[in-house]
Amino acid sequence: MSPLSTALLVLLAPLASAVLIALFLRTRGTAASVVSVAAASFVALGALVLAFGGERFTSSLEWFRLGSFAIELGVKFDDLAALMLSIVGVVGLCVHVFSLGYMHDDSAKARFFGGLSIFMFSMIGIVLADNLFMMFIFWELVGFSSYFLINHYCHKQSAADASKKAFIVNRVGDFGFVLGIILCYWKNGTVNLTELGAGHALVYSRLVPLLLFCGAVGKSAQLPLQVWLPDAMEGPTPVSALIHAATMVAAGIYMLCRIHVLMVPPAMTVIAWVGTLTALYSALCAVTQRDIKKVLAYSTLSQLGYMVAAFGLGSVSASMFHLTTHAFFKALLFLGSGSVIVGCHHEQDIFRMGGLRARMPVTFWTFTVAVAAIAGLPGLAGFFSKDAILVLAFGSNKAVFAVLALTAVLTAFYMLRLWKIVFLGSARSEEAGHAHESGVSITAPLVLLAVLSVAGGYTAIYHGAFNGVFSGVPEAEGLTHYFVLATSLTVLLLGAGLALAFYATDGKDALEERAPGAFGFLVALRASFDGAYDYYVAKIQQRVAMALNFLDLVVLSGVLIRGFSGAVEILGFGVRTLHTGRINHYVYWFLGGVVLLWAFAAGIL
Amino acid sequence: MTPSLDSYVMLSAALFAIGFLGVLVRRNTLVIYMCLELMLVAATLALVAFSRFNGTEDGDVFVFFILTVAAAEVAVGLAIIVALFRARQTVQVDQLDSLKH
Amino acid sequence: MEHLAFTCLSVFSLACALGVVLSKNAVNGAMCLLLCLAGVAGLFVQLHAYLLAFVLVLVYAGAVVALFLFIIMLLDMQGGTPWKFRGLNAAAGFVAALLLVTGLNLLAVRGHLEAGPPIGHSVGSSLKLYSYQLFTTYLLPVQIIGFLLLIAMLGVIVLSRRVPQPEDAK
Repeated sequence: MSPLSTALLVLLAPLASAVLIALFLRTRGTAASVVSVAAASFVALGALVLAFGGERFTSSLEWFRLGSFAIELGVKFDDLAALMLSIVGVVGLCVHVFSLGYMHDDSAKARFFGGLSIFMFSMIGIVLADNLFMMFIFWELVGFSSYFLINHYCHKQSAADASKKAFIVNRVGDFGFVLGIILCYWKNGTVNLTELGAGHALVYSRLVPLLLFCGAVGKSAQLPLQVWLPDAMEGPTPVSALIHAATMVAAGIYMLCRIHVLMVPPAMTVIAWVGTLTALYSALCAVTQRDIKKVLAYSTLSQLGYMVAAFGLGSVSASMFHLTTHAFFKALLFLGSGSVIVGCHHEQDIFRMGGLRARMPVTFWTFTVAVAAIAGLPGLAGFFSKDAILVLAFGSNKAVFAVLALTAVLTAFYMLRLWKIVFLGSARSEEAGHAHESGVSITAPLVLLAVLSVAGGYTAIYHGAFNGVFSGVPEAEGLTHYFVLATSLTVLLLGAGLALAFYATDGKDALEERAPGAFGFLVALRASFDGAYDYYVAKIQQRVAMALNFLDLVVLSGVLIRGFSGAVEILGFGVRTLHTGRINHYVYWFLGGVVLLWAFAAGIL
Repeated sequence: MTPSLDSYVMLSAALFAIGFLGVLVRRNTLVIYMCLELMLVAATLALVAFSRFNGTEDGDVFVFFILTVAAAEVAVGLAIIVALFRARQTVQVDQLDSLKH
Repeated sequence: MEHLAFTCLSVFSLACALGVVLSKNAVNGAMCLLLCLAGVAGLFVQLHAYLLAFVLVLVYAGAVVALFLFIIMLLDMQGGTPWKFRGLNAAAGFVAALLLVTGLNLLAVRGHLEAGPPIGHSVGSSLKLYSYQLFTTYLLPVQIIGFLLLIAMLGVIVLSRRVPQPEDAK
C-alpha cells in the first residue's frame, strides 16, 4: 500500500469512526468506545509505519477553482509532519485506552468517543495539510472538537460557559490568522507550503508572520489570549490530556514551524517575547492553584510559552523537540491526575488528597517520573529539551535566558508542591483514605508514557526518522555548555528544594498562611486578564454595540427604509386625491389628454 | 351661392363645443347624456358637409351608421341610468361618486 | 338667399344647443334638443341630403328624444338645489369649450381644407344610390350594426330586469 493511501486512511479512519458513532451507535456507549479505540489504534499504527518507513512525499488535489484562485487539498509528509503524526497517534492511543476506564460509568460515553474521533480527524488534517487554507479548515474543525468535548458535562453551567469562552477566544486569534493567510496569498500568490518554502523570492513583510502568529496565540493560548485554557479544564480529564496538553495546543507551534520561511527578525523578536512572558506569567499563576487540573493547565501554558520562545529565538528544532517531550510528560501528568481523581471519587482539590503514595503505587511512580521530567532532572526527556532551549536563549538573548531560567525555578517549585501535597503525607479526606488503583486500562497508558518520558529525550531512539527536525537541536560547546548545565541544575535544586521545604502536608496552603500579601498578589495577577476582558466587553464593546443598534434601528430602518416608504405613501396619497369619482372631472382629464395629443401632432411638444 | 365648407365645419365645431360644455358643467346625468347626443349630431353635420363638397355619397352612408349606433347607445345608456336610479335613488352626478378613493 | 337660410338655421341651432346646456329643467332641455335637431335637419336639406334630413327627424327627434322625455318623466326627479351657470366650475367649462372650438378651427385652417365650390352636381338623396353602397361597399358594417342592435336589445332587457325582492316570493 502506497504511503499516500496509508496517509489518507490514517486521516479518514477517525472520521469513519465518528460518522459510524453519530449515525448508529448514539446510545450504545460500549460499542462506540470500541470503534473509537480501534480507529485510534489504526491511526497509531499507520503513523508509526509511515514515520519509520522512511517515505517522505507530497501530493495535492485541486478542490475548487474560481478563475485564477484555487483551493487545494493535499498532503505534505516531511519529517516534521511525520514527527507530529507519531506524537498525535501514540498519545492519542494512550488517551483512548485511558478513556475506556475513566469514562466507563459515564452516561454519554458514545458522544464522548465520537468527539474524540472527530478531534483525531481534525488534528491529523492539520498535521498533513500542505497549504494554509486546508490547514485553516481543519484548524476550525479542531476548535469545534474542543468546544464539543469541553462541553461534555453539558448540564453544568460552568462547562457550557467554558466551552463558549474557548471557542470565542480561539476565534479572535483565528481572525488574525485568516487575515494573515489572505495577506500571504496576496503578496506571494500562493499559500502552498511547499511552494512557499521552495526558496524563490518571497515578499517579506512584518505583518504576514505576525498575523499568522495570531492564530498560534489563540490556539496555543499565549498572552493575551491565554484565558481560555484554564477554564477548559471543565472537560473530562482525557480531553484535557489529549487536546489541551499534548496535541491541539501544540498545533499552534506546529503551524509556526511550518511557516518559518516567512519569518523576519522583528517578528521573531515579538514572538520570542510573547512566549517568554507567557511562560513567566503562567508559572506565577500556577503557584496558587488548588485544583490539580488547573495547576497542570497553567503548567501547560508555561511550557507552550517555552516552545514559542524557542521558535522566536530562531530554532524550529528546539521548539519541536520540546513539543515532543512535553507531549509525553504532560499527557502522563494529566492521565495520572485523572487516575488520582477517579481514585478519590472525583475529588479535584489537592488539599483534600494526600497519602496516595502507598495506596496508588503505579500512579505514584509514573507521576513522579513525569514531575521529574518537567522539572528537568538530568537524564529524563524534559531535561534535554529544556536544556536545548536555554542554550539557544543564552546564545541569542540574555534577557530571555534570565526570564526562562526564573520560570524554570517556578516550574520546579509548583510541580514539586503539587507532587508533595497530593501524594505524600497522610490522607486528608475520606475519599483519599479509600483510594485504590484503577484497572489496567488506566494504568497501562501511564506506564507507556512514563517510558517515553524517560527515553524520549534521546534522539537516537528515533533511528534517524526525524532527522529533518532534530538535526538542528542546539548543543553547546565548552564553557557555555557547562554554564547552562550549571544553571539547569541550580534551578532544579532551588525550585524543588524550596517547594519541599516550604509546603507541609497538613492541608493548608503554606504560602497563603505565611505570606498572604504575596499570595494575594499572585491571585490578583491571575484574575487580571479576565477582569480586563470583562471590563472591555461590558463597558466598551457593549456601548459600541448599543450605538450600532441605534444606528441600525433609527437611521437605517427608521429614516431610510420607513422614510422611503413614507415618501412613497405620501406620493400615493397625492395621486389618490385625483380619484374623485365624479364624471365631470374625468372629462376634464380627457380634454387634457386630447390637448396633449394635439400638441404632439402640431410639433409643439 | 352656397356657404363654404369652412362655415359648415366651424358650425359643426361650435355645436360640438357647446355639447362638450354641457358635459363638463351639468350635474344631471340625463342632461349630460343629451349633450352627448348633441355632439354626435355635430359630427354627422360635418360628415354630410364633407360628402357634399367632395361629390361622393360615402359621408352620407356613414351617417346612417352613426344614427343607428346612437340609437342603440341611447337605449342601453338610458337602461343603465334607470337601473342606477333604482339603486341609488338619484341621478345627480356628484352623488354618484362611489369610485372616490 | 342660401346664405341667409344658412345663417338663420345655424343661429337657430346654436341657440337651441345653448338652451339644452343652460336650461334648469330637464324637460325644457329635451325640448330644446328637439328644436336643435330640427335646425340641423334644415341644414341637411340645404346640403341636398334630403333622405338624411328625413331620417334624422324620424329616428333622432322622433324616437331618441321621445325616449329621453319618457325616462325623464319616469325618474320623477324632485331636484335638489337648482343649478345655475356660474362659479369656478362654469368658468372652467367655458374656457375648455373655447379651447376646443379654437383648436378645431385651427385644425381646419391649418389643414388647408379646400374651400372650393361643391363638386359636380349634387348627388341627391337617391335611395337607390345609398342602398347600392350599403349592400356592396359597406356590407360588413351593416351586418355588424345588425349584431350591435341585437346585443343592445339584449343588454337593455337584462339591465332593466327588476331584482326579485324577498317579499315578492310570498
